Amino acid sequence: MATVTGQRAPGSQLGLLERLPWRKIILVVLSALILLVVVVGSYKTLTLPADERYTATTWKNFVTLGLAQGAIIALIALGYTLVYGILRMINFAHGEVFMFGAYTSFFFSDAWEQSGFLDSNPWLSMALLIVIAMIASMIVALLLERIAYRPLRNAPRLVPLITAIGASLFLSNTARGFFGAQSRGYGVPDVLSGSWTILGVEVNRIQLVVLITVIVAVVALSLFVSRTTTGKSMRAVAADSEIASLMGIKVDRVIVITFAIGGLLAGIAAVLFSITFESVSFSMGFRPGIAAFTAAVLGGIGSIYGAALGGVLLGLLQSVGPALVLTGYGIPSSFQLKDAFTFLVLVLVLIFRPGGLLGSGEAEKV
Amino acid sequence: MGVPTRSIVRAGLIGGVAAIFIALVGLYTKFATLELVGEQITLGRLMIVAPALVAAYAVTRPRIVAGERRVVSLRDGLIAGALTGLGTGIVFAAGTWFADLFGVDRIREVFISVTDELIAFLTFDKGIPGGLVILIVICIVGGVVGGFVRTAPEPIRKPAAVGVLAVLLFGLLQRIVPIALVELGYDADWLYRAGSGLTVLGGVVVFAVAAIADILWNRGGRRLKDRVRQTTETAPAARLGLFLVLVAILAILPLLLGSVISETLGQVMIYVLLGLGLNIVVGYAGLLDLGYVAFFAFGAYTTGLLTGAFLNTTTGAAQPALSADLNFYVAVWIVALLAAGLGLLIGAPVLRLRGDYLAIVTLGLGEIVSVITASKWAQPLIGGPQGMRGVTKAEIFGLNPQDNPQHFYYLALAFVLLAAFVSWRLSTSRIGRAWTAMREDEQVADATGISTTKFKLLAFAMGGAIGSLGGALFAVSIGSLTPASFEITVSITALAVVILGGLGSIPGVVVGALVLIGLPGLLREFEDYRPLIYGGALVAIMILRPQGLIPNVRRTRELAEEEVAQDAWAGGGPSGEGEAVAAVVPGGSLGGEREDLE
Repeated sequence: MATVTGQRAPGSQLGLLERLPWRKIILVVLSALILLVVVVGSYKTLTLPADERYTATTWKNFVTLGLAQGAIIALIALGYTLVYGILRMINFAHGEVFMFGAYTSFFFSDAWEQSGFLDSNPWLSMALLIVIAMIASMIVALLLERIAYRPLRNAPRLVPLITAIGASLFLSNTARGFFGAQSRGYGVPDVLSGSWTILGVEVNRIQLVVLITVIVAVVALSLFVSRTTTGKSMRAVAADSEIASLMGIKVDRVIVITFAIGGLLAGIAAVLFSITFESVSFSMGFRPGIAAFTAAVLGGIGSIYGAALGGVLLGLLQSVGPALVLTGYGIPSSFQLKDAFTFLVLVLVLIFRPGGLLGSGEAEKV
Repeated sequence: MGVPTRSIVRAGLIGGVAAIFIALVGLYTKFATLELVGEQITLGRLMIVAPALVAAYAVTRPRIVAGERRVVSLRDGLIAGALTGLGTGIVFAAGTWFADLFGVDRIREVFISVTDELIAFLTFDKGIPGGLVILIVICIVGGVVGGFVRTAPEPIRKPAAVGVLAVLLFGLLQRIVPIALVELGYDADWLYRAGSGLTVLGGVVVFAVAAIADILWNRGGRRLKDRVRQTTETAPAARLGLFLVLVAILAILPLLLGSVISETLGQVMIYVLLGLGLNIVVGYAGLLDLGYVAFFAFGAYTTGLLTGAFLNTTTGAAQPALSADLNFYVAVWIVALLAAGLGLLIGAPVLRLRGDYLAIVTLGLGEIVSVITASKWAQPLIGGPQGMRGVTKAEIFGLNPQDNPQHFYYLALAFVLLAAFVSWRLSTSRIGRAWTAMREDEQVADATGISTTKFKLLAFAMGGAIGSLGGALFAVSIGSLTPASFEITVSITALAVVILGGLGSIPGVVVGALVLIGLPGLLREFEDYRPLIYGGALVAIMILRPQGLIPNVRRTRELAEEEVAQDAWAGGGPSGEGEAVAAVVPGGSLGGEREDLE
């Protein structure tokens, strides 16, 4: 698609300002600058004097942490991508769906920790916690769809987005009113602390559990979408909801199922996130939610594998990026800027490749 | 039967669940003792009645049965209202009873608001079986009132509703009105009880005055209003006069209200400025900007740097890496100019993005700004997590806006008037029409020769400049800047202000800021619940009244047309969302509902 200015013949009455392809110039300069900053920063970091340099173990830790976090982000991102694929709307409150799952499972985990059940049956209790969080998140997602989004099904596109932002604020502060403003410590069974040695490599136990769970969930989801009748109708609605409804698919039902699946995945992510960071709070949904949305866009919104890939990439970028690029410039506590990294990636992807890595690259959705 | 039984049962259930929600979120305990009228009518108690009232009001709305709009009769309305109230009351009472049976202490491990005080409050201190009966009866009364407000004949229900709203408003303004009356030299101890709400007599008088005023207004006031409108439309001098009267009222306001309330008004003014700026971007140009806090933060910090503020450090104060020592009134124009430049910088790369993607990118840019302001990296320039203090040099003509909230109000008012004037002139100019065209259909606008690039950038620059003025004012009002003041909530609050008032409407922004910033600012009890209310308000407005409280005239027309188009689609379409379509017809919630014909 040609740029807006490119479509117009360069007539003599147009000023110099309008004739120059400003957008392209700015973009090229911007990308060159960013590339320069990244390359110089990485070079500087890697050539720091030996006593200031990160060790190989530190880098390995950054990478495994990034993988685990990225996997969690990917699970949340799937919720965004599914809903966007079907409704063409950004479910901004999805982070809060995730937060409610985490909080609900916290109360069980807390009780079980006190009764000793968590440590006597660690695997069973983890499985139960995940199921509980899945159910809680699904209920919140369904309520959200029914109360806030369904009345606006045919409204202009910005209306549901504004509603979603309002719903996000409302839900996080509901949790604050329900459960209190302070964050709470999330117990982890003893079995999961420390690390295992697999084939001579030391692996953090929680991170391994997280990765395996996420892989199972993503594979299950993709099988569901590609093999079942419901999955087929989901794809049909995503392709064209009007035609799908003419083919006898109940669009409303498919939308409800989509929100339910998004909620279930967010519930799994909630428990994994909570055992990784060992705490829950009413505001825990916002940043992971935005990161997950970024991941979905990065991978190509609407695509399941795209969301998974985007999540993992973003996780790596968040954990490795600040250390690699910023340390070289002598920026103190570069990890503080990790969220700025997320947003920068989001902005850059949307500007340069709005279709995402696995998307079709078309600008229609934008 | 006027109202289907199924609808009544459903409304009762929803009302009950809503009441339990309010209890769990802690609103009852917070407002239990905020007296509005006399000692008995507290805000908390009104909140007990509210779910039943609203549910009954909603369930007795006119319905569309077989293509015909049917209004519920008064008798049916009262019966349906009472039944809905009964349903709400039963669910509510059951929840309360369950909490008591199960054990308040055990529930409180999860829901921190469930306390013995809450149970006592909900049962009116009468213990479990007796108090629950009272609770149900109160809910039934609420339901009857709700049904009455909807179905009573117009000449009765409207003055009654206006009267009740006036009492509510005067009760909520209990920290303003008495002070203002005393400042005017009138001791109103018959109207307000000391340090509390209206007296019973005061409540009755306010109700009567408001109701009578409404009746008189319907008799003769309309004609008066029409005549005023005619005069102002034909004679520009009259319009100017009206405007001057308004400004004069605004100018003497702080003298009447004292310094505490002036402080709140100053905060309102800051958000009016932010709203006016955002209104240009979102309301006029139709670009949803969720990163508006970037301009607010930029304005505040740049003002600090230019007026010689210093950094907070662990060891004391330090000079920023870059600073000037200008007078505020010089600095502020530089700030606005730089912010316009920042607007261009942010606008340029995102030009081609439309709608929701633009929103998310601007959200991202806004978050980058907040993350950076809070990071240690920003320490040498703007203080990082510790922030900076000592924004000064705002004295002018013997006024000192920094220490005196009343003086600050005048400063803010001047900026607001300037921004409002600029927005108003812009909206009626060629530029404003270009924005409208662009908002409605970008491709068509482009085809008719409007340079969308130029006008989008202009919108970002103008919005940015006005937003940075808000930041500059904020810096003056508070004197010290910390990252906690520059988070995403600022963007969302500003958006809520614009949307509540009505996109594209300048008076709307003022009303939006008064309601969303002013009211909670006056009742400190609201403080913790502000975000909850903002979030709920955004959802409710989008669903019930997308054009806002004071709609922009042109915008209303557009929304109406959109709805008509959608109605046509939904009518023939498979999902049959007639209910939703009817509910968003401009003009309010009086739209009908399509009943399932089973």
